[in-house]
Amino acid sequence: MTDISMHLNSDEIELWAQGLLPAARAMHLADCSLCRVEADRERKVILELVQLPKFAPSAGFANRVMAQVKIPTASGGWEQH
Amino acid sequence: MFSLLYRMVRDRALAEDLAQETFIKVLNGIKSYRPEFKFSSWIFKIANNAAIDHLRRKSIDTLSLDGAPNAETPDQMRATSLQLGDRAESPLDEVESRELGTAIERAIARLRPEYRSCILLRHVEGYSYEEIAETLDLPLGTVKTYIHRARNELRGYLDDRRE
Repeated sequence: MTDISMHLNSDEIELWAQGLLPAARAMHLADCSLCRVEADRERKVILELVQLPKFAPSAGFANRVMAQVKIPTASGGWEQH
Repeated sequence: MFSLLYRMVRDRALAEDLAQETFIKVLNGIKSYRPEFKFSSWIFKIANNAAIDHLRRKSIDTLSLDGAPNAETPDQMRATSLQLGDRAESPLDEVESRELGTAIERAIARLRPEYRSCILLRHVEGYSYEEIAETLDLPLGTVKTYIHRARNELRGYLDDRRE
């Protein structure tokens, strides 16, 4: 019978979803359908999140930024790029 | 950083403006950078503040498909309702709906901005809870709470989609 105090907490479920939960705690999932369902749902969401693409700004973005940056000059003034 | 801004405001042109504002603040204010702070966290902090400030300023005027809340007659409701076909979709709109149109992206968009920042920093940028707390100037416990609530809400939205 599963001891209620041994249910995985949300930190442990996150660790399990990332494959980082110590085996001794992960074994709890074999016996506890409640935690297994919870952990599976959590893993699906985390997987979807970590697989999200990275986006990049449009071409010319860096030039537009640098055009507005003021660089200090040796004479103590500012140089606009 | 651009990905975070884009997902926060869901508008490419605006995200570029905010990213530009962020970089200019970073480059012009480099002397105020404190080396004990992770440099990328400092940039994310400025970017996130820019996005949150924008969202607060905008304080999104909620448009109802059924018309203004005070519309009482069918004519008033028709006159004040949001006409989805009113605005022709530009090429940029098409890019945005392709990039941010997936179920998970739409679910993220429904989160509170504070939850959105935390969940994106955690799972898209790979920040630790401690780094997020430092970046967003939040207590560690608050960051944990926000992330757990955000994941719960995302699970709910995604479960609704699957049903």
